[in-house]
Formats: sequence, structure tokens, C-alpha cells
Amino acid sequence: MIDWIAYAWLIPVFPFLAFVLIGLLPKRTLGWEDGGGYAVAGAAGALVLSMLVIWDVLNGQTLTHDAPRSTWLIIGDFRIEFGIWVDQLTAVMLVVISVVGTLVVIYSGGYMHEEGVGRRRYYAEIMLFISVMYGLVIADNYLQMFIFWELVGLCSYLLIGFWYEKPSAASAAKRAFIVTRVGDIMLMAGLIILFKYVGTLDFAVLFGQGAGSIVSRGEIPQDMLTLATALIFGGAIGKSAQFPLHEWLPDAMEGPTTVSALIHAATMVKAGVYLTARTYPLLVQTPESLLFVAIIGGVTALIAATCALAANDIKRVLAYSTVSQLGYMILALGAGGYLVIHAHEAGGYAAAMFHLMNHGFFKALLFLCAGSVIHSVGTNDMRSMGGLRGKMPITSITMLIGSVAIAGIPPLSGFWSKDEVLAAVYEGGEFDPVFFALWAMGVATAFLTAFYMFRMWFMTFAGAPRSEVHAHESPKIMTVPLMILAGLALVSGFALFVGEGFMGFIERSIEDLPVTPLHESLTDIAVRIFTDPLTYVSLVLAVAGILLAYRVYYLPGFDRSVFAVGVRGKLQRALENRWYISQFYDDFAVKVWYGFALVADWFDIYVIDGIVNGFAYLGANMGATIRKAQSGNVQRYASLIILGIVVLLVFILYVLPWGGW
Amino acid sequence: MFEGVPIISIIILLPLIGAIMSFSLGRHDKYAKWVALGFSTAALVLSLLVVVAFMVEPNTGSEGYHEGNGFFDFQFYEEYSWIESLGIRYIVGLDGLSIALFVLTTLLSTISILFSWDTKLRPKEYFGLMLVLEVGVLGVFTTLDYFVFYVFWEIVLIPMYFLIGVWGGPNKDYAAIKFFIYTHIASLALLIAIMAMYFEAGANSFGMEDIWRAGQSEFARTFQIAVFAAAFFGFGVKLPMVPFHTWLPDAHVEAPTAGSVLLAGLLLKMGGYGIIRVAMPTLPEGAEALQLVMAAIAIASILYGALVCLAQRDLKKMVAFSSISHMGFVLLGYATFTQVGVAAGVFQMFAHGLVTAVLFMMCGVVQHHCGTRIIQDLGGLSKKMPAASTMMTIGFLASLGLPGLVSFAAEFMVLASMFDTWALWLFLPIISVAITAAYYLWALQRSMFGPLTTKIDTSHVHDMNWYESVPVGLLLALIALFGVFPLVVFQYIDPAVRIVLDLFGGG
Amino acid sequence: MIPLEYWLILSSLMFVIGAYGVMTRKNAIVVLMCIEIMLNAANINLVAFSSYYSTLHPAFGTDVSGQVFALFSIAIAAAEVAVGLAILLSVYRRYQTIDVDKINILRW
Repeated sequence: MIDWIAYAWLIPVFPFLAFVLIGLLPKRTLGWEDGGGYAVAGAAGALVLSMLVIWDVLNGQTLTHDAPRSTWLIIGDFRIEFGIWVDQLTAVMLVVISVVGTLVVIYSGGYMHEEGVGRRRYYAEIMLFISVMYGLVIADNYLQMFIFWELVGLCSYLLIGFWYEKPSAASAAKRAFIVTRVGDIMLMAGLIILFKYVGTLDFAVLFGQGAGSIVSRGEIPQDMLTLATALIFGGAIGKSAQFPLHEWLPDAMEGPTTVSALIHAATMVKAGVYLTARTYPLLVQTPESLLFVAIIGGVTALIAATCALAANDIKRVLAYSTVSQLGYMILALGAGGYLVIHAHEAGGYAAAMFHLMNHGFFKALLFLCAGSVIHSVGTNDMRSMGGLRGKMPITSITMLIGSVAIAGIPPLSGFWSKDEVLAAVYEGGEFDPVFFALWAMGVATAFLTAFYMFRMWFMTFAGAPRSEVHAHESPKIMTVPLMILAGLALVSGFALFVGEGFMGFIERSIEDLPVTPLHESLTDIAVRIFTDPLTYVSLVLAVAGILLAYRVYYLPGFDRSVFAVGVRGKLQRALENRWYISQFYDDFAVKVWYGFALVADWFDIYVIDGIVNGFAYLGANMGATIRKAQSGNVQRYASLIILGIVVLLVFILYVLPWGGW
Repeated sequence: MFEGVPIISIIILLPLIGAIMSFSLGRHDKYAKWVALGFSTAALVLSLLVVVAFMVEPNTGSEGYHEGNGFFDFQFYEEYSWIESLGIRYIVGLDGLSIALFVLTTLLSTISILFSWDTKLRPKEYFGLMLVLEVGVLGVFTTLDYFVFYVFWEIVLIPMYFLIGVWGGPNKDYAAIKFFIYTHIASLALLIAIMAMYFEAGANSFGMEDIWRAGQSEFARTFQIAVFAAAFFGFGVKLPMVPFHTWLPDAHVEAPTAGSVLLAGLLLKMGGYGIIRVAMPTLPEGAEALQLVMAAIAIASILYGALVCLAQRDLKKMVAFSSISHMGFVLLGYATFTQVGVAAGVFQMFAHGLVTAVLFMMCGVVQHHCGTRIIQDLGGLSKKMPAASTMMTIGFLASLGLPGLVSFAAEFMVLASMFDTWALWLFLPIISVAITAAYYLWALQRSMFGPLTTKIDTSHVHDMNWYESVPVGLLLALIALFGVFPLVVFQYIDPAVRIVLDLFGGG
Repeated sequence: MIPLEYWLILSSLMFVIGAYGVMTRKNAIVVLMCIEIMLNAANINLVAFSSYYSTLHPAFGTDVSGQVFALFSIAIAAAEVAVGLAILLSVYRRYQTIDVDKINILRW
């Protein structure tokens, strides 16, 4: 019996090798799809190994405090070592990354077929992307994680800007990198604070609890720890596109749709949630930061859901829905922390990770379906789609499954996790009433989610075609991954009821925190869910959202021009302009900084360099003036010599003796 | 490996012999590049052997080892008397502070010679001057006698003056003279500081170690402050620090590409090296009194340099200003007076030397192939020169401190030490991390991405030549290597820095 | 015996007259002549002091080294005049003038 978990460090190596091979091999040896074969092999290798590792974790093994480590840097008294850390949380991330990653790569074989020579770059970058994301989730200290964190940002930059000749793509890529970098700065500052006080960034040391916690050991003052955790969460705000740094994600639609699927479902934005979950042992020591986390999550969920209402780009709708769902996860993490502190329950934490996994599947499904539609229709604009149901049966049905799942209709996956999230938030209200307000926002978001998802589905697939495009179903290489993902979206919610249950599994990753294991049997969970009236509140609202979308966007006879006038018109325009947040960044923040830069440049040229040149000018001018004395007139020289002698004589003979010499 | 062989002197002499040969080629000036490449490669190979032979855990009894007894411990130590009545000796040696810069010098010299392979204007003078420059910089990094140090320090100016003034761009005369006079004034401040230390120490020796030892008891606090200020000015202008930086953008914009590479890659490091080798250990009380001044100047350089970059229209000028910003990190690391900060500062010099060389080479490639470096006139070059755009992207990413590439470890550690010393003032320099990303990516977007430009004739634009891509590729490989394994360099720097801080009374 | 003061007054007058001429006259030959006058003022001084020295210290006998120097000086002056006139001839050939105000190319 091989101890697979000890080989977890090999997981990122497979895709990395594929990246190197695709990047360096001569063109004619690349084979299928210009490197697609290597990419599939790399992704599949990582998938297989991930599954083996997950199997070990399911059997109760973890690799945390005692993993072998290698030294990265010795500086002064500090020794920075890198190693691996595999626990239940890592396992959940591995599931999402490996499954979604592999399916996306296979799907790319069809989607990117027309790309030609660009495919080599595409596959290389995708492999690097998957590789560094694996690296991020198996890191055993914050610095190692930060390194991969930044590399994830780099890969998303490269892939969002894949079609670099499009100015909008180049601009969106840059924006994604810079906005997430603002978050990264906060993360970096948080890590520096921890490093200064504790002297290491290893999880094993930082995550001590109770008497072993870094505060109890007197290594860091409480207020500094609060600042540090808030700043670390700042990194998640940038990466997971939380308010107010969320606008980069909808713009990141400029990349190929497969890239969007990867970013939204498995890699980039999930890193922020993962970071917040990973930081839990520290966050539960700082309730102020937890409240901050929860509020950011709740606000993001609602704002993003409203923005999705008026979007006409199919990918933009999905992008805002991602932001909104990420808000759910963050909200659940914030509320879950309160539960851990006050009730010693891991419900919120588990709900967030459960939602992360389910969301990974159905969001990948939705994006790949949207990709299939775009591939066939050739546009992103839903106003020129419609009536595609008959022409693209597989895509339309799988997308319907995805939409139902995200809307939260039982028994699909979204229902279970969203319900757990909202239940945890409501429960948090016992300890701080602000969670009731956040719960209300969450429920409103659930209603809006159902509405905009079905608005999208009806506009795309139902009704009569609105343009002359000759649509057709996508090839098998694209539809098979869709069907697999649709199957996962159907059943992944039942992970609640398999084996020890998802909740029981994931909560073992934070069992060091004072968490009482849920002594619920699996049937208890089902009973709890279906006897709670709150479940029905969100369920009814979700159904109402679907029905409203059905009325407005499917049934004939509804005059949508009412949205264009009066207060409603203003609201509509605000939504279409995404609450003007984007404009704020473009018109204000960017211009202010650029203005500073222009002022600094002016100052440099005319003031600092002006002074330098002024000295030079002064010197040159003095020279020019004095040299006029050199007139070339010998008689004047002679006169001056004689005058000089006379003056000197007078000085020596009369002035010096008079002065006492 | 080198018992009884004056290996450092041999490495310094090799390029000098090459320079003399190159100057005296007469009509056969097409062989100048081969002569230059041969001699610089020989120096490079020997210097790599020196690194191999350099003992990280010194065996104190071995030959060529010189115990500093509180001062730096040197290896490959050579000492010859020169002008005995004044106490001037020729002393060379290497320690952890200098060895990285020493190899960087031989490496960048070789690479820039290769990069200038198609120089057609007066090649024998050009390559000869490059070699003379290498001699000067090598001397600065190895000499342990103030007098000889100053001689080498000044020698460096002359070939650079001619490189800018003869092979430079349209405004070369202005830039060359400005470069020479500005840095020369700084050198005079340095000379004054050296003379003051010599006479105050009263040891009748220009040896760095002798003066340091005498200074332990002889240098009063006010004397230290005054002399440190002068020496800091002398070194800081070279670094360069705001507001004494304006010679740098002009010199870079006009200098030929290889000149820029050596200017930014090596000459700036001389300033940073001087501060840590000479100014801070010998005048610790002066340094302590001026600590806040150093930190303020460092932060100003970091932020101001980054902001000005954002407004630049010329690619090369942007890279030049980014050097100011990044060298500010070196100074900031020093100013913390912590082990982490100083070691990271020294490492940042090494990292910046590699990265900025790539950036200037890529500016040279763009200039060479497109005939302009104005960002607004470029655009969409990725289509025409994919390899160049890939290399430029990696170079920019390395410069903005992407983890996995060489600058990250240095910048992170400098910022960590900054927090250690000044707590939440950390948020001032850390802003530059975002600004840096902004100006690089914005420049990349406008020059390499988007639709192909119509403002210049791009019909003849093709990808990089071999003599351009080989040096850049080599440097990028090193950037990635030392980014993943920074310990390779840190293991030399760290023990040497420990000594600096012991000098400081504990650190 | 004429007292030393008279000689000194004479030589001072000659010197000042010569200097005045050097400074004011335009014709280079006249300037040259004025220089000769100044030179001779110095010669008179040499001879005068020489004899004054002998009368002051009769014990040393007659010391003629000052007068010998005057002879040297005269000989050198003759050579100098030759060179000076030769230069003036060349200048005249080149510029068709020996007006010193106009010969001023050695200026800024």
C-alpha cells in the first residue's frame, strides 16, 4: 500500500511538466491540437494523483505538521522553509481543481480548435495556471502560498489577455492584475506583520489554539493580529473579487470562455475563499475581522446580484453571479467564525466550503455551456440569441441543470449548500444582530439569483431566434464534459449524505479550534433542513424569481419598456452601468494617480532638473561674462599688469603695515 | 584551488590586456569584438571558478584567507605595497558582500559585449572601452584600499563618458557631460570624506581595515556625522537617490544599449556597495544619526521613481526611472540597520543588476527594430516579434517583483525589515508595488498588445537576432533560477552582513 | 659724484615714460621702442647700484658684476629687438598693418 499522500507534492509537477514541454518542444512534435495532448495528459495525471491523495484523506490521513520540508532562504535568525500541507480543506480544493481543470482542458480541444498557432501558448498557460493553483492549495506556509498566489494572478493576466490584439482584452488583463495586486499588497502587509511578530509564516506555528495560540504565547498583541487578519482578508477581497475590488472579474470576460470557466470555477477566485478558510485558526481569534469578512461578503452578494439583472452579455451575467456566490461563501465564513467562537460549531465554515465545491461544478458547467453557445452563435450578446433550444439540445438542457442548481432548487447541489450558508448566517444572528440583516441580504440575493439566471436562460434558449445565425450543436469533445459536469451538478449536493457526510469531513480540518463535532446522523441533517421554516423562505423566493423571469422574459405580452422610464429607468441605467463603480475607478482613481504622475514628471523636469541645469547655466554664463576680459589687446593686458603691480605694492607697503603685519 | 595564484589581480588584468589589444588592432578592427569577447569570457570563467572556490564556511587557516577581527573577513586576499610613505597599498580580496557583484560584473560585461555584436562605428575603441569599464568596476568591488578604490572609482567614469558621448543618441553631448560632471562632483565629496578619514585616523594608511580600526577610537561623533554625510552624498548620487538622480534618465536615454546595461547593472551598484562596505561600517555613529534621512530618501526614491515612470512616454526613460525606484529598496534595506534589511538590500542590488539588464536590452531591441521607443507610437508588436514580447513580458514581471523571479525575495524582505523598524510606515513604500505593476503593464499593453501600430513603418520589423536573444535568454534563465533558489546567493551575503551589523553594535 | 637718487629718478622717469608708451601707442614699432626705453631704465639702475655698492664698501674693491649684467642685458635686448622686429615684419605681411589695436585674434 503506497502512502499516496506523501507524494502530494507531485500533483503540481504534472501540469508544470506539460507546461515546460509545450513551451519548449519543437512545433512538429506537439501533436494533437498543438500541445493539447500534453495538456490533457498533464491535467489527467494530476487528476489521478489528486484522487489517490483524496482517498487517503478520506481514510483519515493528513499531512500537516510533520511533512518533510526544504529550506528556501536563511537570513539572519530566520529560516524560511517550504513544505506541503494536506488536510480536508486541501482535499476539497483538490477535487474542484482536478475535476474542473481536466474537463476544461478536454473541452478546449473543441473550443480552441480554430485558434491555430495560438493554441500552443494557450495550452502552456493553462497548464501553468492549473499547476500554480495546485501549488497554492498544498502550501504549508503563507509565504509559499503567497508566491503561488501571485503566480495565479500572473496566469490569469496572461490568459485574460490571450487575444492581446483586442485592445479591450489587453486592457482587461492589465486591470485584473493591477486590481488584484491592490489586494495582494494588503495580503503582503498582513504577512509582514505576522512575520515580524512571530518570526515565521508556517501554518504549524501560527495556527496554535488556546494556550498555544500566538497571542497567548505573547508573540503578537491582539490588535496587531486583528490588523493582520483583516489585511490578509484584503488579499481575498482582491482575488475573490469582493466589493469594492470586484469590478475586474466582469471585465475579465475578454479571455476565452474556457479560461473564464477555469478562473470562476476552480482557480483564481477560489483562491481568495481558500485563503480565508485557511486563515480560520487566526480569524476566530479576531472577531472584529470576522465581522468585516461577513459584511463584505453580504454586501458583495447583493450588489453583484443586482448588477447581473441588467447585463446583456451572457458571460457578464455569469461573472456577476460568480461574484455574488463568492460573496455567499465569504459571508458564510464570516458568520461561521462567530459560530465557532460562541457555539463551537463548524457549520458556517463547512457550508462555505460545501458551496465552494458545488459552485465549482455548476459554474464550470454554466461557463462551458455559455462557451458552447458563443462558439455556435459567434456573439456574447443575449439580445441576438434566442430560440436555441431546438438547435442545441444538449447545451440547453445542461445549462438548464446548471441554472436550476445555482437558483437553489432541490435536489440539485446549489440548494443544499446555499441552504446551509443561509442557516449559518441566521444562526450567527444570535450572537450579533447584524447577521440578521446579512441574512436578509442573502435571501434577497437568492431571489435575484433565480431571476437573472432564468432571464438568461429564457433569453438564450427560449422563444424565437432574434438573429439569422445558423446555430448548431457543438462537437462531442465539448458536450461530453458538459454532461459530466451536469451530472456532478445534479449529485454533488448529496455529498452531505455520503459516508460521514461532507460537514463532518470538512470540520475535521479545524478540529483544533474548539469545535464540537456535529453529532448529527445523516438523516438528522435532512430532517433539520426540511423542518426549518427558513428553508422554505429561500425556496419560495427562488421559485418566485424563476416565475417572474418566466413571466417577463418568456410569456408574450409583457411590455419591458416600463423599465426605461421614470425612477425605474434611472435604476435600470444605474444597473446597466454597474452602479457606476467601474466609472469611478476609470474616471477618478486612475486619473488621480495619473495626475500625480504627470505632476511628478513635470516637477522632475522643470524643478529638480531645472535646478541642476540652472547651476550649469550659471557656470557657463559666468564663464561667458568673464572671458570678455580676454580681449586680445596686448596693451590692455600690459596696463592691467602694471595696475596690478601698483595695487600690490600699495597693499604690501601701506595696507599691510597699517593692519599690523 | 588558487593557492599562490593572485587570481583576483589576474581577473582584473585580463580585460585590461584585452582593452590594450583591442585599441592597438589598427586596421583589423573587425576582430575587436572577438578580442573583447575572448578576454571578458576568460574573466567570467575565472570568476565563476572563484565562486566555486569561495568558502561559505571559511577554513580560517587556508591560504589567502584574511581574518578581519571585527572587520570583514576576506578570501583571495592579496596585498602589495605601492606608495609606502603615504601608506598606500594595493589590496584586493573578496567576501560575501562583493562576490555576487564581482560575478555580476564579469557576467554583464560579457553579455553586453555579445549584445553589441553588430556595432559598426569605431568597433575597436568601443569594445576597448567596454573592457576598460569592466576593469574599473571590478577594481571598485575588490579593492580594500581607499586610495586605489578612489582611483578605480574615477576610472569608471571615463569609458562611460565616451560610450555615451560617441555612441549615444541624438542628445549625447549634453547627457555625457551631465553624467560626467554630476557624478564627478559626487566623487569629490567622496574624496573629501576619504581624506578626512585618512587624516583623522592618523594611521598613515589608506587601508580600509586600518582606517576602520583606528576609527573605532579616533572618530568623534560630530566628525562621523559630517563625514558620513559627505560619503553618503558621494555614494548616493551614484545609487541614485532622489533628488540627486537627474543625471540618470538623461544618461540612459542617450547611452547605447550596452552602455545602459552596464550603467544600470553595475555603476549604480557601486554606490550601494560603497555605502555598505565603506560608509556604514566605518562611520556607524554618523549612519545612526542620519538613519531617518536615509530612510526618508529611500522612500522618496521608491515612490517618486514609480510615479514618474507612470508618466513616461519613452520606454527606456521609464526603465531608467524604475531603476531609481528599485535602488530605493536597496537604501531602505540598509537604513533599517537589521540583518534582514541589509542582506535583502545587497541581494536587491544583485537582482536589479540582472533584471534591469534584460529591460535595457529589450528597449534596445525595440529601438533597433522599430526605430523608436516612444510608447505611443508602438503597439501590437507581439504579432511581429513574439519572442521579443515574451522576453519583455518576463523582464517586466521580474522587475515588478513577481514571486518565482529574482526580485521578489529581496523586495519582500526589505519590506519586512521596514516594518520591523518603522511599523506601519510600511504602507508608504508598499504602495509602490501597485504603481510598479501599473506602469509596467500599461506600457506592455500599449507597446506590445493591441492592434499593430500604424504610426511607424512595421513592414521590416522582424524578431530578435541571435546575439540579442541569447544574452537575454541567459539572463532570464538566471532570473528564474535565483528566484526559485535565492539561497544560492544569500548563503554568501548573509554571513558577511552579520559582520556589518556586529560592527553596528549588535544590530 | 652724482648721488644715487638722481639716477633712480632718471630711471623711474624712463620706466614710466616707456610704460606709458607701451600702453598707449598704436604703432607696434613705437611700442617696441618704448620697451627698449623701459629696459634701459633697468640698465641704468643696475649700473647705478653697482657703483653705489663700490663706494659703500671700499674694502671689497671695485665690484663690476652689476655693470656686467647691464652689458648682458643690452646684448639680450639687441637679440630681442631682432626677434621683435622679425615678428612685426611677419605680422605686417599677414595683416598689412602693425597697429596693435587691430592685432587681437588671440582673444575669447
